[in-house]
This record gives sequence, C-alpha cells and structure tokens, in this order.
Amino acid sequence: MNGSHYALLGLGFGLVFGTTRITHFAFGPVYALSAYGCWFATALSAPLWLAAAAGIATGALAGVLSYLVVYRPFERDESPALVILIASLGLFIVLENAIGVVFGTDTKVVPAPPSGVLLWGPLVVTGAQLAQVAALAVIALALGLYLTRTRFGKAVLAMSDNPEMARIVGIDTLRVSIAAFALGSAIAAVPACLILVKDGATAHMGFIAVFMAFVAVVVGGIGSLRGAVAGGLALGLVESAGMAKIPTEWQNSIAFVVLFVVLLARPRGLFGGR
Amino acid sequence: MDYVLHVLVMVALYAILASSFNLLIGYAGLFALSHAAFFGVGAYATAILAAKLGVPFPLPTLAGIAVTAALGIVVALPALRIGGDYLVIVTLALQVVVTATLLNWTGLTGGTDGIRAIPRIELFGARLDTPGSFLPLAVAVAALCFAIAWRLGASPYGRALKAMRENEAAAQAVGKNIVAMKLSVFAIAAALASVAGSLYAHYVSFVSAENFTVELTIYLLAMVILGGTGNLAGSLLGAFILAVLPELLKFVDMPSDVADKLRQMLYGLILILILRWRPQGLLPESASAHHYRAPPERAPVDAPVEAAALEGRGLERHFGGIAAVAGLDLTIEPGRITGLIGPNGAGKTTAFNLLTGFLQPDRGEVLYGGRSLKGVKPHRIVRAGVGRSFQDLKLFTHLTVLENVLVALPRQRGDYLAYVYFAPWIVRAEERRNLARAMAILEFVGLGARAGELASELSYAEEKLLAVARLLATGAQALLFDEPLSGLAPNALAKVFPLFRRLAASGRTLCIIEHNLDVIRELCDRAVFLDEGRKLAEGTPEELMRDPQLSGRYFK
Repeated sequence: MNGSHYALLGLGFGLVFGTTRITHFAFGPVYALSAYGCWFATALSAPLWLAAAAGIATGALAGVLSYLVVYRPFERDESPALVILIASLGLFIVLENAIGVVFGTDTKVVPAPPSGVLLWGPLVVTGAQLAQVAALAVIALALGLYLTRTRFGKAVLAMSDNPEMARIVGIDTLRVSIAAFALGSAIAAVPACLILVKDGATAHMGFIAVFMAFVAVVVGGIGSLRGAVAGGLALGLVESAGMAKIPTEWQNSIAFVVLFVVLLARPRGLFGGR
Repeated sequence: MDYVLHVLVMVALYAILASSFNLLIGYAGLFALSHAAFFGVGAYATAILAAKLGVPFPLPTLAGIAVTAALGIVVALPALRIGGDYLVIVTLALQVVVTATLLNWTGLTGGTDGIRAIPRIELFGARLDTPGSFLPLAVAVAALCFAIAWRLGASPYGRALKAMRENEAAAQAVGKNIVAMKLSVFAIAAALASVAGSLYAHYVSFVSAENFTVELTIYLLAMVILGGTGNLAGSLLGAFILAVLPELLKFVDMPSDVADKLRQMLYGLILILILRWRPQGLLPESASAHHYRAPPERAPVDAPVEAAALEGRGLERHFGGIAAVAGLDLTIEPGRITGLIGPNGAGKTTAFNLLTGFLQPDRGEVLYGGRSLKGVKPHRIVRAGVGRSFQDLKLFTHLTVLENVLVALPRQRGDYLAYVYFAPWIVRAEERRNLARAMAILEFVGLGARAGELASELSYAEEKLLAVARLLATGAQALLFDEPLSGLAPNALAKVFPLFRRLAASGRTLCIIEHNLDVIRELCDRAVFLDEGRKLAEGTPEELMRDPQLSGRYFK
C-alpha cells in the first residue's frame, strides 16, 4: 500500500525531474499544499470528490507557479543546475513555513468517508488502501497512454530524452516544462489527498514526501518513469517486509538502506537510466 | 546585555558551521545536505558523554570529532563514483536517518525529550554558564576552526579541491587522487561541524532532535551563498548577517512560533534573491594574484628527459554491442611526434582513454617502458609518466591561468594535509619552487603575460596553449594531445609547431590526434591511420597520404 503511495510520488517527481532536469525540492511543500487545498474545500463543506479535485487543482497550480516564478528566470539565465537546486531549497523552506503561518501547525483532518473493509481470503483490505492502489493503476495507465499516444505526450518524452535536441527539432520546451510541472504536481496531489483522509495533513509532511520521491527515482534509475514507479513500489515492499521486524518509527531509515545498497550495487538504478 | 552576548555566541557557532560547509560546497563542489546532521551528531556525542557518563570537557568534543568524521567518510562512499544528484540524495538520506535515530533510540538519545542538564564547561576554575563567560571560549574555538579551514583553503590542497570542483576528469588527468580528496574534505568538514555541535550542547545544556533538521542545513546554505561560495571570509559575513538580522524580528510583536516561521521564510527568500541577483555572493571568490613574484632562476622547460615507448597491445573496448576499439596494436616511440588520424568515430579518443586509464580495455593491455598499466588509475598513470589532454580542454575555468598550471605540477607535498598543517614551511618552500616552474612553463608556451587572469578570460587559441602548458606541468614524459591544434588559425599554428618540435627534440614521447592532413604532414614523424577501431596503416605521413585506399576512406 505504501508502495503505491511512493510510486505515485516517484512518478510525479520523476516527470518533473526527467523533463526539466530541475531538482524540484519544493515538490514536497507543493504536495502538502494539495492536501491543504483538499482540506480547505471540505471545510467549506464540499463533498469529498469535489474536495479532491480542488486539492489536485491546487497542486497543479502551485507546481506551475513554482516553475514560472522561481525556476524559469534561472533557466532563462542558463544558471547551472546546482544554482536551481539551491533555489528550490529556498522555495522549499519558504512554502513550508508559509503553510504553517497561514494554516497553523495543528494536524488537519477530514471526516473519514464510509469505507468498508473487504475480506479477501486471508487478506484484509480497507477502502482507502484500495483507492490508493486503484489510483496508481489508473494514473500510471493514463499517463502511459498520454505520453506514448498523443503528440504532446511524445514531446514530453522527447524532451526528457534530450532537451537540447528537443529544442532544435522545434518542440516548445517552455510549454512542455509547464505541462510537466502541472502533471507531476497533480499526480502527487492524489496521494496527498488520500493521506489527508487516512492520517491527516501537517505543514511538515512535504519533506518526507519529496525525499521518498527522490529516492524512488534514484533507485529506479534517473530518467526512467517506469523505473520511478518500480522504485516506489520496491521501497514500499521492502518497508512493509521490514515492518514485521522493525518498529514503525524507523520506516524512513529503510529507504536509506535500500538507497545505499542500490547505489553501491547498481549505481545507475534498477532500470539503467542515465 | 546578556541577550547581545548570546547572539554573539551563536554567531561564533554559525561561523564554524558556515565556513566548514563552504569547504564542502564552495571549494570541493560537493553538494551535501547533511551538515545539520554532522552538527547534531557532534552535539549528541557531547550530550551523551558529558551528561550521562560525566566525561569532562574536552574529551566529549574529541570523541564527537572522531565519530562525525567517520560518519562523513561512510556517507561519502556510495557517492564517490557518481556525483551531483546522487550525493544530494545520499546526504539527505543521512539527515533522515540521523533524525530518526535521535528521535527513536530513546535509551541513548532520550527520544523526543532530548537530553537535558548537560554539564557546563569549567575552565580555569570558572563555570561558563552565562553567555558572557562562554563567549571568549566560543570565539577562541571559532577562530581556531576558522584557521584550520582557512589554511586548508589557501593551501595547494585547497587549490586541488577547486580544480576537482571545476572538472573531476581533468583533476585526475593532472594526477590528483579525487577519491582521497573527497573523503578527507568530508571528514574535515564533518569534524568541524561536530566541534560546533559540542560547544552548542555545553552552552545551551539541552539538545533535542528538532534543532538539527534539514531546515538548519538550508539556513547554513543561505549563509554560505550570501557570503560567497569559495570565500571563507564571506561565510563569516554571511553567518553574522543571518544570525543578527532575524533577531530584529523579535522587536515586532507576534507569537513566537509565527516569528520563527517568518524567520525561516526570510532565509529562503534571501537564498533565492541572492542567487538571482548576485550569485557570487557578497564577497566573491578571489583569484589569488600574489603568485606573480616568482624567483628568476628557472630550469628550461625543454631540458632533455628520459622517455620510453608507450605501447598498446591487442586493445579492445566495446560500448553496448559496438566495438569502439577492436584489436588495436600501437607503439608510440619517444623522441618524435606520432599523429593519430582517421575518420570521425574511428576510435581515436577511445584509444587515448584506454592508454591513459580513463577506460579499462575489455581485452589487451597498455605498457609504458615495458611496464604494464593494467588496472592502474588515471591519476597514477600520469604520475607514472603518461599524461593526456582533452579534446574539449576541460580547463579549470574559475582558476587563474597560473593556478591551472600550478595545480598540475607533480609530487606536491602541499596536497597532503599532514604537510599542510604540520610542516607549513616545507609547503611554502616547495610552493616557491613550483611558482618558478609554473611561470617557466607558461612563458614556454607564450602565456606568461596572462598568468594572473582567469582561464575563462582567455581566447580560444590561448585556451589551447594553456591545455598544453597544463599537460607539460604534470611532468609526464609521454604526452597525448587530443586535437591540440584543431580550429587554430595559420598564424597561431606557426607559433605552436615549434613548441611541439622542441618537446619531441627533448626526448619526450608525443602523440597527437589531428584531422588536418597538412598539419600532420608538417609536424609528424610518423602517422597511424585508425578506422573502425583498428590500425589500418602506419608510416610516414607522405606514405599514408599516397595510399589511394586510405584517402578514399578518410574522405568517404
């Protein structure tokens, strides 16, 4: 279950990173912001599906604004990748604290929707868990179709393959970048809304999210979206397997072990990548 | 008054953290996001030893240094072969693990409660329990740490760090062991951060995991960027400004947690704005121009040397399914200039990479003077006498012309920290000799007048000359030049030709990759024709050019 959560995060982060080469640390607070957008909508007594749509829209908007307001000017000046990375850390801390200032530091919760418990042989599955897995399947499939079947989707893939060449053959890289930020942030908004329903949202939830997303991408192989999904699923699986032996509060450290082992054994990630 | 003194103590601690962080980011170009973790481990080491076991100052500090330096080395390991994004994520992961450990290993770290009642330092019978009494110690230790960082940055080792930052492959090509450099600079930066952590623990007598999060690293990053990367004085300034500025927020009436968040937003904003409008920081990295005064007595650069033949036997190298070099036998004799020609994709540069250890052959071996270079790392091969230049030059563009040559000189004891710290007079004497040598080499290639300028300010032809000078400086006797002359105008060529001839006449083993057949005919004694990874022909340039089959292949 955590696997599909990480896989979605990895997919969103990988889409942004692969296409624009921007190490978008503010991906974390943007993810948190999506959860807050969803919460805010429920607080205005919107039904859950509408609130989720609001959360996704919030994420997409915040993602695109991050790109246009902060990253784009650096890109135009052809700043080195490291400079943009540092700027993204600056944006990370600005957004994270802005959320805290505006919404306060308490955990935001929404009234849990009626979600049945399914008994499937020896397996016990809750509604939220099912929704998460279903969300991954639907999004991964839809994104796959979009990227391979539509003209614009192919432009995204082309740019993640070679941005310089993409520009030369006449792809509008600005539009593709904006789309990558919108899509990537919207994808991450889905697990954000689900986590809001399950555990509630806090201003600091973004750090672990972007960390896990980054790890999933590196484990899967930088530049490979399939790898990001596989990396996220692998992280979740190892974590669940470890959970039997290791107390819950250490679960973030498991990611470190996975990362360490993968980087030592297969420095280019499970799926090759760049 | 106590309040002002407290701020000053914090400035001293931040000065240690920011300047050590700058060594990693600004000098070595290693973008690590684990500085708060190193700081925290140092603080907790002191807290545990002093509060729980009653170990007196300064023993906990020393223990913290050892633990943190080891941690720095361990975390650098997986990121050694691959830099950039991988180092970022590995160091971030370390931060996550350290936070988890501090929060969850309750028996050792007190968990979410942290560790309280850490004993104050007692010095000369006085108990340092007020900001005023602690300040002299904090300033003294900060000054010591800063001196350590400063000495490092200003030494030949620091220059090598900057070269590594500019280009790792080129740093290896001039004989630097970048693995050892990365590990040692990580260890030192981590150890210095740990000292600050130890002082902090004694000073506030309470540590808690939330004081050592990634937000602190970003705060320190803002100090380094604001002050200027690659300039340690800048880090002092940055630490001072960013420690004092937010205190002014305290005079605005608002709840303290909101003030804290606004403070952090301020750091983030400063970070973005400074990158946008003044990325070099308030005090930019300075080119050291004092190097000019080199003593007049200089050995001639083209004095005769004993060189040997460089030989490749049955070299094979595949990329995926493609054989870039397929069974290449090649002998480059000393005392003359061998030209390597062939169409694009013939495997010329791959052959260079195999000969100089930048690639290992799938099959076959390389011998220099009859000695096998199998499995020898590039920086050792250049020390053994086989050096190479790069087609894309890979100059250290943010170093001066003189520094580009200085850093390449062989057997520098100033590259070793033991000499840097414990025998500075030896390093100083060596540096004077090296200056003379470097100036002699620059004058040999005709760049003497440009010595104090940044390499990025050179013209195209001058850049090519500097690449030659840098390769000469390594002291290698076998010199492999990858297209040293391409794109040069005839008058520039006329200046460069004699240099190559004099080097060959001095007994050195020269090999150049070149596309221009006129240049090959003019300059080379021998020419080797390569195509599809094999040697097709060898002979004098005239012989090769008379062969209609070869010219057919060349111009196909």
